[in-house]
Amino acid sequence: MSDHARLELTDAAAAASAPTTGPVVDPYAGPVTHSPVRFLYDLNPLAKIFAPLPAMVMLVFVRDVQTPLAFIALTAVVLLIGVRFTRGLVALLIGVPAFGAVIALGFALWTDAGLVDDTAPVVQLGGWTLYGGALEIGLATGLRIAAIVVLAFIAGLSTTGPDLVRATVQQLRVPYRIGYTALAAFRFVPRFRHELEIIRQAHRVRGAHGGRGPFTAVARWAGYIVPLLAGAIRHAERVALAMDARAFGAHPDRTERHLVPFRTRDTVFLVAFWIMSALVFWLFFPWGLS
Amino acid sequence: MTALQRDAPAARAGGPDKGQPLLRVRDLSVAYEGSVAPTPAGVSFDVSAGEVVLVLGPSGSGKSTLALALNGLIPHDVPAEVTGTVQVGGLDTVGNPVSRLSTHVAMVFQDPDAQLVTGTLLDEVAFGPENLRLPVEEVLARAESALRRVGLWNLRHTNPDRLSGGGRQRLAIACALAMGSPLLVLDEPTANLDPNGIEDFYAALGELAAAGDRAIVLIEHNLDAAVGFVDRVLVLDHDGRLVADGSVDDVLRRGADELHAMGVWLPTSALAALRLRRAGLHLEPLPLTPDELREALDADPATPPDAERAEFSPAVAAHARPPHAVAERAQRDEAPTRRPLVQVRRLTLRRGRATVLHDVDLDIREGDFVAVIGANGAGKTTLVQAIAGVVRPPRGTIRIGDLDVGRADSRTLSARVGFVFQNPEHQFIAHTVFDELAHGLRLRHVPEDDVRARTEALLDRFGLRDKAATHPFRLSGGQKRRLSVGTALAGAALDGGAPLLVLDEPTFGQDRARADEILSLLRDLNAEGTTIVVVTHDMQLVTEYADRTVILRDGRVAAAGDTADLFADAELIRGAGLRRPPLSRAFDGLTSHPGLAGIARLADLPDGTA
Repeated sequence: MSDHARLELTDAAAAASAPTTGPVVDPYAGPVTHSPVRFLYDLNPLAKIFAPLPAMVMLVFVRDVQTPLAFIALTAVVLLIGVRFTRGLVALLIGVPAFGAVIALGFALWTDAGLVDDTAPVVQLGGWTLYGGALEIGLATGLRIAAIVVLAFIAGLSTTGPDLVRATVQQLRVPYRIGYTALAAFRFVPRFRHELEIIRQAHRVRGAHGGRGPFTAVARWAGYIVPLLAGAIRHAERVALAMDARAFGAHPDRTERHLVPFRTRDTVFLVAFWIMSALVFWLFFPWGLS
Repeated sequence: MTALQRDAPAARAGGPDKGQPLLRVRDLSVAYEGSVAPTPAGVSFDVSAGEVVLVLGPSGSGKSTLALALNGLIPHDVPAEVTGTVQVGGLDTVGNPVSRLSTHVAMVFQDPDAQLVTGTLLDEVAFGPENLRLPVEEVLARAESALRRVGLWNLRHTNPDRLSGGGRQRLAIACALAMGSPLLVLDEPTANLDPNGIEDFYAALGELAAAGDRAIVLIEHNLDAAVGFVDRVLVLDHDGRLVADGSVDDVLRRGADELHAMGVWLPTSALAALRLRRAGLHLEPLPLTPDELREALDADPATPPDAERAEFSPAVAAHARPPHAVAERAQRDEAPTRRPLVQVRRLTLRRGRATVLHDVDLDIREGDFVAVIGANGAGKTTLVQAIAGVVRPPRGTIRIGDLDVGRADSRTLSARVGFVFQNPEHQFIAHTVFDELAHGLRLRHVPEDDVRARTEALLDRFGLRDKAATHPFRLSGGQKRRLSVGTALAGAALDGGAPLLVLDEPTFGQDRARADEILSLLRDLNAEGTTIVVVTHDMQLVTEYADRTVILRDGRVAAAGDTADLFADAELIRGAGLRRPPLSRAFDGLTSHPGLAGIARLADLPDGTA
């Protein structure tokens, strides 16, 4: 017993000196504890991906302002109820429309004034006029992009990497060898980012490819590729050996401790979201045929 | 022991009759494609249940190859020509897939990062049993038992990224245990760990060995940590042949001289004892740990303290500083003409929000061999990177001679100081070894004839003459390391100033032979006048090679001075979160042999033959 007590004590030490180079977003983060109202966490990841998908595709072909606005509102409601109310969520719900507004302004300035010179001028600077029509086109474009992004967050905010892999293996019948290898590959990302940083430092110290301009930049990046790839291949080989040594791929399937079932509630959510999407498109019918 | 009961089915599956060894190796030879001779060559041995076997051998003897052959990764995953047989639990490794063998032999590899697949410790340990299609309750039972045995159960929901290196290697042991196999093979498991990590890892492995329910085959060059719980030692020679197989007493204690001659790294205490024996001390049996060495010295009745002191002190004076660099350095130390080369004044550096270095003042003199040491996160790497200009220090805080590092552009800087990164591959930029060495010279528009002459001199100096046209990535590990030092030095000697070479953990993750090679190279360069600054975790290395040491603690200089003086202060070393080198620990509290007190480096020990 005392042995265990002593070893458990070193847990703190083992964790305390943890490297601080972890990924910013942890793709392996476990399920968050949540109240039962936050229903999105309990849904199958596939339901959360496929529910907004038709709307996201249709939004590409929409040109008005109301439709994307309606979808942003709809998604905001779903997210506010469905996921935990955190500062991140608020930032997202404010940030994405703000981002859309910036895009809106940009597109407004780019729009060919000749197409909209029959609309009311909003700003006039000397000979240059910003027409209301241009502003409207920009706004529609910005909102469209914002709506698509926000819809993607329905799955993004409430799904963990492992659950997504499990769902693709369990429901979409993706071979588990592919799914779990993809999951292991997530680990490569922070490692390579760190490695690339060191390689850049090392090359800078050598005074390699000094100077400015696009061609030197290309030469410089080309010089990073060989050491990065050499390291990557070696690392991948080692990971593969370690996985094989632990019987990965031994059988056609493997034990699943976490079942990610596709339940009635997933179907309900999926169908309800599709109906809502159809309803929005039917109400606003944004293709101007009327 | 519930753990034993749970693992019993797996053990039963391992072999129907109890008398059969877990592992049976017969006339095993492995040759990689393109290699001249097989290593290992014609090796035969058995491992029975519960045995703890240490495999030793010089660099290139095929130890790691042997490890990969034991669970079938050779030849199934790594192509190689295998003759002879390996049987684990009665299964032939060539005829059975790795996945089936994995229930009989589990592996722990060198790189902790390359063994992680999932997002929590629990998922990680469960990964193997899940692959075996065990029922969920069995998976969880095994995972819990394995995590508890390495003391990580409380952290089971943590991301493995949050663990230290030692913690991650302990996790790797747990993953191996969860496979339920009665045999564990560990291939240099501590090569990538710092001293705290090594201690942490061996605390867990030692308990496992003591429990006796698993056989362990351990390939390790860090004998200081491993020798405590090993039952049996196998030794491969240079050609991969098995030359010794016996108990620790038979092989290590009695055959130490031959092993040492063969290039096998021995525990520091054993090396010290061999030296002291040559000086006439009677140390029998050969001590292998600091504690054993101290006891043996105290128990040595051959020389009473008084007489010994009289005969001993001249020995120290005469032989402690061999006739090469050390002696010269000792004389230079006393000379008042030694000029300061690097001056660090009020250096404060931030990374992100954290202040990594606080108000650091430091002088490095021309011709010094300086070691920068400190616990993890003390700011060692940041300090030397700032000195070399890899990270830009604020203006006026660091001067190399009359050069302000904060203002100099990278070309000017690389003419004064060379920086060697941990992984030599990171800094290679040319397509041949020749161009690699010539790069720094061409950058400064040295005439081409001159470039050729200087580069050829460097090729000779670093033993790379016949590799001049080779791509740097195709060199062997040791050659890559030499080339990286060569390229760093090629620029640094250029503008006529004294060359300064800065190295970040030059021995990390390398075996002893390679570590020795690089260090003797550095010592030679130092003797030729190059100022050397190294960051390292290896305390014995510090005491052996560096004449001056800088101890960092929480981003401040805790102490800077002569290495011997600093290591004599046990309180200071402990306070900085460091460990004293094995020799200091052995001679600390020694009641007899006052002549040995305070000696920390092997070279300072009396040696009958010198």
